[in-house]
Amino acid sequence: MTGHTYQYQLGDSDSIEALLTALSSQFHLGTEPKKSVRHLLFDSFDWRLFQAGMQLDEVQDKDGHHLVLRSLADDSPYETIRLEGEVPRFTWNYSAGLMRERIAGPLQMRALLPVVEIRSQVIGLNLLDREEKTVVRLQLEENRARPAGRADYQPMTHLIRLLPVRGYDKYLKQVSRFLSDKVGLLNQSQPLISLALEAIGRKPMDYSSKLDFDLQPDTPAGEVARQIHTTLLDTLEQNLPGTRADLDSEFLHDLRVAIRRTRSALTQIKGVFPDAIVEEFKERFSWIGSITGPTRDLDVYLLGFEGYRDTLPEQFQSDLDPLHAFLVSHQKIEQQAMVRKLKSPHFHKLLKDWRAFLSTQADPGSAGDHSQKPIKKVARKRIYKTFKLVLEEGLAIHPHSQPDELHELRKSCKKLRYLLEFFQSLYPKEEIKPLIKTLKSLLDNLGDYQDLEVQAYKLREFAHQMVQEGAVPADTLLAMGMLVDGLLKRQQEARLVFAERFAQFADEQHVERYNRLFATKQDAKLNGAPS
Amino acid sequence: MRIIGVYNIKGGVGKTAAAVNLAYLSAQAGFRTLVWDLDPQGAASYYFRIKPRIKGGGRKMIKGKRDLDELIKGSDFENLDLLPADFSYRNMDLMLGDTKGPVKQLLKLMRPLSMEYDRIFLDCPPSISLVSENIFRAADALMVPTIPTTLSMRTYEQLVEFLDGHRVMDVKRMPFFSMLDRRKKMHLGMLEDLPKVFPEMLKTPIPYASDVERMGFHRAPLGSFAPNSPAGLAYAELWKELEAGLAG
Repeated sequence: MTGHTYQYQLGDSDSIEALLTALSSQFHLGTEPKKSVRHLLFDSFDWRLFQAGMQLDEVQDKDGHHLVLRSLADDSPYETIRLEGEVPRFTWNYSAGLMRERIAGPLQMRALLPVVEIRSQVIGLNLLDREEKTVVRLQLEENRARPAGRADYQPMTHLIRLLPVRGYDKYLKQVSRFLSDKVGLLNQSQPLISLALEAIGRKPMDYSSKLDFDLQPDTPAGEVARQIHTTLLDTLEQNLPGTRADLDSEFLHDLRVAIRRTRSALTQIKGVFPDAIVEEFKERFSWIGSITGPTRDLDVYLLGFEGYRDTLPEQFQSDLDPLHAFLVSHQKIEQQAMVRKLKSPHFHKLLKDWRAFLSTQADPGSAGDHSQKPIKKVARKRIYKTFKLVLEEGLAIHPHSQPDELHELRKSCKKLRYLLEFFQSLYPKEEIKPLIKTLKSLLDNLGDYQDLEVQAYKLREFAHQMVQEGAVPADTLLAMGMLVDGLLKRQQEARLVFAERFAQFADEQHVERYNRLFATKQDAKLNGAPS
Repeated sequence: MRIIGVYNIKGGVGKTAAAVNLAYLSAQAGFRTLVWDLDPQGAASYYFRIKPRIKGGGRKMIKGKRDLDELIKGSDFENLDLLPADFSYRNMDLMLGDTKGPVKQLLKLMRPLSMEYDRIFLDCPPSISLVSENIFRAADALMVPTIPTTLSMRTYEQLVEFLDGHRVMDVKRMPFFSMLDRRKKMHLGMLEDLPKVFPEMLKTPIPYASDVERMGFHRAPLGSFAPNSPAGLAYAELWKELEAGLAG
């Protein structure tokens, strides 16, 4: 980070006094009344603004109540809006304007949540020239921080910032030289949010749904499996409160992804746990998948609703309003039903049992045969086998293949993708990333093909349900019919793209890369490669 | 970005005070605002305590060889910047005359600032010249401070004739009463009559007030030291009319 050239770290309150004395002996200063400022910093649960180089700061002081979008590089404001009430949670709650434009891209459907709160006592100083014109602003900040909305304030780094006045760089350089060379202050390059998080013992980006293990090739497979499962269980638990409170749709989504990955890891990392355990937990986790499915389905419709509506000619778009109302009310019902189950003793016992199993030391006798083998060997074998399966299934598909065959292929591709993602750290990044990318593009296509059909049939189901529940305008049903038609057309288009996507996967060089990374010499002989 | 020229053929009518005070109110309302002090006397620059000098001189700037961007100075107020005057501006007519499109050169120079500023106020020198024609062509609105006297009415008529004669139709004409002295009968009479002849006349008159003169002592916009004085309140009303006019 190159920003924050003009921000320095201060010691305690005494050193602030000393600094004021030093500054006023050297420069002609005007002072402004001390003011207290409260900052509440917002981001999505998965740090989307931070990743996009931004921080969102709700500022309250005597001058009012504002929401300021700042750069991470130097805390400088990109956009400011005046707030009437609370910080709007979703981008669609913001009125059209630059603020919304800036945050909509990174945030998408995620909610803004308060992360950390800062209380500052700010002393403003103005460096004046001979005309008594302000040429540099100095801001001394005594800061304290706490987790948003609760607990006691913790001491936080005090800062002095130099705020440039346009066209007066000469003075800015003078003051900054004075502070670093004469006073001996240290440059502080961290953004406000990082300093505040540090004060409460947190770090930015401490949650991500992405898999990012750092595995060693020789670690026993059983140990790695436990590590992977523990991380997935952590992710599941981290997403529970947000799922229960329905803060946004992605908590549930990430929770479900963690479940799917867990089930996949149970099946795919073979022979590391006792069979009975694998079977038991596969079934129990499948239960979580099924109790969370209906809510997710409705979330998907609601997220995509605008997109659906936009596919219709404008004069028919408002005909879909009753469908929207139906989706909203049913999402609420399903969400409540799901929350009841997620709060049940049955659910808690499942998580508790699973964690207990993962944290007990493996008893070599009871574990599976492969648990002591080095992970690299186990991973290689599984990946290669699954890769061959995908290749075989894919090559068998022709223009007249039944949908079932494509669905099977999708399942195999998913397995392969999870395996590659679990074990990617065992292989050179530049080798493994392109494999994941190609696979993802194939999976997107297969996903479209299947999901569009499911969505079309689900819409028909909704239509019947709406008729049963009461009077539905005929126009609404007709508009939904148009949607179904559109979805099925798009599904056919996806089918046409398949051949091209799979060709990328089955491309000679691409296959060669799999062989190079995962095939043993024996495999190579079977493949007929020159020795 | 909207450009507002503050102009009168006559001098000494409260032009600079209007430009500075309206710009200050605009910045306070959250608009990123720039004042361009085009008058070689540099009164607006003086009010902001900024030296009336352009690095490298005015000629290079007018020719487009220096970006305006580099020459802008921050004022003491948030959202409010100034492009200072320079003594060389007294020859601006000649400088403009040397460019390719003499009547649209100022607009051309300001265009790159459109992402940076929401409002640009031009404090213009008096008299009709190539500079003023540039301002008519660049501005979205032309604020014309008018003292309620017969002589002032004549100069406004001259301006209207010029604008019509040169087919300058894109600029919104916004004359307003300036330096109104309610003790003077003629002022009160004009206050009543002039809007009948020129319905574009804005409703809010700016009173003749010692507070406005004190701007020279404080070297700051009125809103920053006497926002609730009669003149301060009048400028606030006038600014609202200006914004409504820009929106409409």
